[in-house]
Amino acid sequence: MTRMPPGRTIAGLLLALFAMVAFGLAPAKAVTTDEIISRGKVIIAIDTTTAPYGMVDQSMEPTGFDIEVANLVGKALGVPVEFVTVTSPGRIPSLLTNRVDMVISIFSITPERALQVAFSIPYAGQSSVVLAPKSLDIKGPEDLVGLKVGVTRGTGEDGLLTAQAEKFPGIEILRFDDYASITQAMLSGQIDAMGGGDYGDMYLQKSVNGEDFELKYILKSFFFGIGVRKDSPELLQWLNTFIYSLKNDGTLNELSLKYRNAPLPELPVF
Amino acid sequence: MDYVFHFGPILDRWPLLLWGLYRTLELSIISMVFGLVIGIAGAVAKVFGPRPVRAVASAYVEIIRNTPLLIQLFFIYFTLPFVGLRLSSNVAAIVALSIHLGAYVTEIIRAGIESVPAGQIEAGKALGLSGRQIIRFVVLTPAIRAVYPALGAQFILQLLGSSIVSAIAAEELTAVANNLAMQTFRNFEIYIVVAVMYFVAVQVFSALFRWSGRKLFRWKV
Repeated sequence: MTRMPPGRTIAGLLLALFAMVAFGLAPAKAVTTDEIISRGKVIIAIDTTTAPYGMVDQSMEPTGFDIEVANLVGKALGVPVEFVTVTSPGRIPSLLTNRVDMVISIFSITPERALQVAFSIPYAGQSSVVLAPKSLDIKGPEDLVGLKVGVTRGTGEDGLLTAQAEKFPGIEILRFDDYASITQAMLSGQIDAMGGGDYGDMYLQKSVNGEDFELKYILKSFFFGIGVRKDSPELLQWLNTFIYSLKNDGTLNELSLKYRNAPLPELPVF
Repeated sequence: MDYVFHFGPILDRWPLLLWGLYRTLELSIISMVFGLVIGIAGAVAKVFGPRPVRAVASAYVEIIRNTPLLIQLFFIYFTLPFVGLRLSSNVAAIVALSIHLGAYVTEIIRAGIESVPAGQIEAGKALGLSGRQIIRFVVLTPAIRAVYPALGAQFILQLLGSSIVSAIAAEELTAVANNLAMQTFRNFEIYIVVAVMYFVAVQVFSALFRWSGRKLFRWKV
């Protein structure tokens, strides 16, 4: 069997890889509300693994705070909503590759993310907290030394707890792909504490020892915005107007009471 | 194409990427060693063992080969604690990877064993070799030489397949890539760099595997 010179093989493979990347990346298109309306549907990225913002109900339909906001977007535009489920790491790529028009998925507003996407004004607020069973006495990061702490990869809790682990050596951070995995790890005792949202104890069942969970200490407060591509200013302005009216007529507060058992926190605007 | 590539932030973090590659190789090589041992034992059990042993080996192979590695990983890490066996991420990853590879290696080596003519075994007995010597020198050595390329291919799949253990919080190159993606949001650049790293790792591994094959099986029968 004749063999191709190895240099050519490697060059050919690298060329193929480059071609796939170059042609696979469709140019990011601006999308306006008119285009969405004439297209006949709005495509929204959601997360279904993080209660109470995105989850599935008994009949496996998406439900939650974010999903209701998404449905209200569709209603205001007068078109049906097509949901695309993404994981936390997949939110920005789904926008940049034109798979979705917007992202409504516990998308915390940070300047680093704003380099890649554009955020609307906040429609919800959340604190990142540390949760653990009642029997553990944890008041601050020093009490986490020697414990295994689970976080969802790339979330605000990941960044904050990793920074705390660097300041207090001995905290072991375990990074999972989604919130469902860390709750599973908590229930099977693979981690002692976890980073999550301040609604976490509402949706966690009992721990492996049958105890309730409780909020130990707050890491930071975040605000969620709707993400769109940077070159869609018209859509961004419409979304800001939409969120503003939802805040004024009390709809957002109702959703917050329904899903978080707490009123809507004060939402800054920019 | 509108996207502007910035490789700088990624290449700045090369120590972390190298550590991830080291962890991938560590997980892969340890599970290859265990997988090979399990595979040889399984193949010998399936060909030469008594009926109940053959049945157990067959059940093991069928169950492992017909379920996804990710499910096996979740089972070992999340479900076993409920029956009392709690393994750390790292240990669970190695256990799952080894058991997974063992099933495939069993079938590969079994094919190799069956390719050894029965006359060889009879000749071995006629020469007065013990059972163990026959299995080692007359059966396994030609068998493994015959299926060496297939073993190499399976080991390469194992190296690449180790990328999913981030699902149970075990860190290796893909987990490092995902972490970096979340810090810098430069997904395209990161995954291109990591793909190239895997590619180079596999090329080096294949070359070493072929070289060691030439050294081990110098004599063609």
